[in-house]
Formats: sequence, structure tokens, C-alpha cells
Amino acid sequence: MSNNVMVEVRNLKKYFPVRRFLLSKDYVKAVDGVSFQIKKGECLGLVGESGSGKTTLGRVILRLIPPTSGEILYKGKPVTKMKGEELKEFRKSAQMVFQDPYSSLDPRMTVFQSIIEGPRIHGIDVGNPEEFVTRLLETVGLKPEHLYRYPHEFSGGQKQRIAIARALAMNPEFMVLDEPTSALDVSVQASILNMLKELQAKFGLTYLFISHDLAVVKYMSHRIATMYVGRIVEVADSEELFLNPLHPYTQMLLASIPIPDPKIAKNKPKIKITGEPPSPIRLPQGCKFYPRCPFAMPICKIKEPPLIKVGNNHEVACWLYE
Amino acid sequence: MAGMGRYLVRRAITFIPTVFGVLFITFTIAFLMPANPARVWAGGQKASPEVVQRIRRMYHLDEPFWSQFYYFTKAILTNSIYSPVTHNLVSEEFMRRIPITLNLAIMAMFMIVVMGIPMGIIAALKKDTAIDNAVRVLALIGYSTPSFWIAFIFMWVFYNELGWMTLVGLPRPSQMITGIYLVDALLLGEWKTFIDINRRLLLPAFILAFISVGGLARYVRNTMLDVLSADFILFAQAKGLPPFRLWRHALKNSLIPVITVVFFMFGGLMSGAIITETVFGIPGLGVLYYSAIANLDIPVIVLSTLYAGLIIVVISLIVDILYALIDPRVRL
Repeated sequence: MSNNVMVEVRNLKKYFPVRRFLLSKDYVKAVDGVSFQIKKGECLGLVGESGSGKTTLGRVILRLIPPTSGEILYKGKPVTKMKGEELKEFRKSAQMVFQDPYSSLDPRMTVFQSIIEGPRIHGIDVGNPEEFVTRLLETVGLKPEHLYRYPHEFSGGQKQRIAIARALAMNPEFMVLDEPTSALDVSVQASILNMLKELQAKFGLTYLFISHDLAVVKYMSHRIATMYVGRIVEVADSEELFLNPLHPYTQMLLASIPIPDPKIAKNKPKIKITGEPPSPIRLPQGCKFYPRCPFAMPICKIKEPPLIKVGNNHEVACWLYE
Repeated sequence: MAGMGRYLVRRAITFIPTVFGVLFITFTIAFLMPANPARVWAGGQKASPEVVQRIRRMYHLDEPFWSQFYYFTKAILTNSIYSPVTHNLVSEEFMRRIPITLNLAIMAMFMIVVMGIPMGIIAALKKDTAIDNAVRVLALIGYSTPSFWIAFIFMWVFYNELGWMTLVGLPRPSQMITGIYLVDALLLGEWKTFIDINRRLLLPAFILAFISVGGLARYVRNTMLDVLSADFILFAQAKGLPPFRLWRHALKNSLIPVITVVFFMFGGLMSGAIITETVFGIPGLGVLYYSAIANLDIPVIVLSTLYAGLIIVVISLIVDILYALIDPRVRL
């Protein structure tokens, strides 16, 4: 495998057991056989509706929850088998930013304590800790006087900046951004996204950017993967995916983006999103999108389509392109 | 902490009306009771009408409500309320009994905290396992078992069968230092007294603890689970914090609400445990209430209620101050 792959996921599965009546046990298949790669310095966008397993996938990759099966390779090393120093190195190098800035900071720690805790634990030499944290705060657009304040004294956007500074303090190479802006106002969103982009360029970071907001994902990502009930149904370069969406589900998602200009909107192909995703406990056989798909064929009901390579860097799991 | 002084002044100002309100309400309820206390105090059915009449006049029972309330309030302020049943000065009676109840309350509270908090933490960490279920069942049993019944069972086992416990007298250390008998006995090195106090108070304290310990454990479990599911815990994990640091994050945040519950439990215990004290014959506040109710000793009933109200007011003040000290989000 080539050296410029940061993260590789192979046939990853995460099932959550749900206890049912007495003995029978069912599983929520949150992530069901996902494979992809993230190259160094790249931002992979992960889109899908609520409950499609995006967050679970992000957490499994960071080894916050153990996978049911499959492999995660971080810089070529299997994450699930890491121990001791290796794991410590991974914990330092891979960071996360959460969706809800209100619960992602310990309310009883000052900004300084929150940010410095990680480097201290890992014995990272930061020089003068106060200067170090101040510099980080400035990097994320906060002021030195914020150093000894508590999280409740900040707005949502500021908290998210603190959370990002806290992740940066570990000098990471890879970051999972789990809907980092969806709890924020649109204007604040834009500034945070721009900042994340600048940071990526400045520190050469690799991102896994999880979001349900297609416009945001398009802005941020080099490549985009569409997820539907625990599976990746289409992966392509960002431009390609938006110009030439192949999977009916991706087409539906794209059609749902509101277009501000009514003249352009009129000419847009109309594919309505109908129905709801199936329960992740009782999944249909065959293609999981089959019950909602306007182009469904007999084979879709029987056999699940694998990811098929259709073009340069474009893969889609749909029998239409067989 | 500049706000603290101002806050205390503000609280002190609301303190007096609160206490006065409690007094007014309890007095009103006592006044409206469809009973004839003068006759009870005079000796019941066989009492002669003259004696009853004299008692009515003596205690101003023949006067209108406001007048009675005035005399009662004045008597409280001048500390001259005597029980019409025992003829003791009520404040002295309270002073004699409060230390005993305090001792029982502290012992019980100590057991509740020492058992309940670790149980809750373990239940949270081992969620949905046998341990968690055991704590759940224990809480349920504690809530729903009548305390006199457990008291009898324990008396039978530890007094009748094993003979480890005593049920009479109340040994005290020769000197008062902290006012907590067990601690004083230890400080003075009076081992025999220490053991005797335990033999007398351990069982009732344990029964009081048994009633509440499961409830506290469940409460700790739930707040702990709340905190453990917060993103900052996940982040702490993601940045590779060792388990004990994770615990610090979790404990610091989940113990704040627990403090409230612990203090109010203590307030409840301080108001006296009527059933447990009566069953074990411990001369604390609980027994005082019990006999006051049985003998229609209205001054004692009203003052006991006032005392319980005072305890709650004081406890909530302490909790508020503690919050301000330990939680940066709270500004008084």
C-alpha cells in the first residue's frame, strides 16, 4: 500500500445489540461493511441522513467504540491491535471535534486547563504552557484574556473554537470532525469552516468531515462518501459527485439542496425524496435503498450491489451501473 | 467571592419571613384541629369542667386566633414555651434531644455516603450487569420495606439471637469535644464507651441508612451515566487520558448534584426518625414528636414542625453556598 494513505478502513462493521423480548437478540447495524481510504492531507466528506451511521463510523475509527469486525489501518498500522506506546502515539495523533460544543468541554475546567490537559498527559514539551495555550487561542481566533474563563462564559461558536484549539494542542495529523458546525448559526458556521480549512493547509491535517449538510461538505471536502443505513453507497471527488451523481440516493440528496436563484432552480431535475430509511434492525434483503428507489429493478430486491468502479475515482453501489 | 457577602445578606432577609410563614401555617393547622386540647391536658374524659376551663384560660385557648398567635409568637421569642403535658421548657427538651438525633443522623449519613456513592459509581460503570441490577433491587427494597419491620428483624437477629447489640441506655463519653459521641470517645481513648455506643446506635443507624442507601446509589448512578455520555468524556478518551484522569472528569461533574441530595437526606435525618427512634427507644427528637402527637401536645408539635422547617432552610442555604464554591457556573 502506498505511503500517502493516512487512514484505511476495510469492511468495517459495528453492530449494537438491542435486547428484545426475553431471549431473542437483534442488532442495530450502525456500520455494515464499510471500506474506504483517506489520503494524507485530504478531507474526506461523509454525508448521509440522521441515523445512517456517520457518527458511529467516526468513533469506531478513533477506537472510542470497538468495531464488531473489520480493520482500521492508521498509517498502515491496525488501530484495534494497538497497545502501549503505539496506542499513546495514536491518541496523540488522531483527534476529534464534536457536534455539540456545549457538552464537549468539561464545564468545571477553565479553557487553559482543558487545552493543556492533553499535552501534559502525553508529556509534550510546550515551553511556557500559558504562552502555548495563548498562541493556540490566537490560532483559532480567540483572545488571550479568554485563558482562564470557564466554558459557560462563551458562545457556541467560541466553544467550538476552544474545542478545536484543544484538539490542535496535541499536534494531530488526523482529525474526525463530527458535524462541527451543525449546532451553530450560519454566519458562525462560515467562519469556523474557513478556519478549519486554513488550519488544514497550515498544519497539513487530514480530515474526516462528517455532516448531513451537503453544501458544507462540498465546501470542505476533496472527496465525498455518501452513507445510507450503515453502508457507503457512493464515493467520488467532490466536484465529480456534485456534477455527476450516480447513485439514486445521492441524486435525491443533491436534489434536496435548496437553490437560492429560482431561475436556476426551475431547470434543476426534480427527484423527490420519498419514504424513510428502513429500520436499521430489520433491513430489507438486497439493496437497502430498494424500497425508496425510483429506478428499482428485480435484481435490487434480491442481491445487494457492491461498490462498482465507474470512473476515475468514482465508485457507486448500484446495479444501474453494472 | 465579593458576591457572597451580598448574597448572605439577601438570604438572611428572606430567612425571617420564611420562618415566620412556616410558624403561621403550622400554628393555623394546629388551631383548626377539631380536638379539645385543654380537656386532654386536664386528663381526658374524667376531667372536671372547672379544671378544663382553668387550663383553657391559662393557655389563652378561649381567646380568638390572632390573640393566640400573638401569645405563642411572643412566648417563642422570650423562650418561655412549656409543654402543657410534661411541663418541661420545650427549648431545653430540644437541646437535650438534638445531640442524640444528630449522632444517629451522622452515623446513618456516614453509612449512606460510604456505601451509596461507591455503589452508584460501580453500577454506572457496570451498567446493565448483575451489579447494576443488584443496586436497583436494593434501592427498591430500601424504599418499600417498612422500617419498623426491618428494625424488628434486625433486633431479633442481633439482639435476641447473637446478643451483639444492646437496646437500653445511651452511653456517652465523659467529655464533649465535637459533640459526636463516637468521635469524642475515640479522641478520649475511651474504648469501652466507643464499643458501647456502637452496640447501641449501630443498628438504628444502619436501618436509617438502609432505607436511603439504594436511592442515593441510584441517583449517583444516573448522574454519573449522564456525565459519562457527555462529549467531553469521549474527547478525554480520544486524547488518550488514562482511566484515573477520566474518572476525575466524571466524578467532579457528577458529584455536584449528588451533594444536594446528600445534604437534604441529612436534613431529613436531622428532623428526627420517628419510627426508628421509637422502635429502638432512643430518646431523640423522633420520640419527642411521637409522644407529642399521641398526647396532643400542641406547642411541641408546632415547634417540631418549625424546627424541621428551619433545618430545611438552613440546609438549602448551605447547599447554595457550596454550589457557589465548587461550581464555577453558579454566581450567587
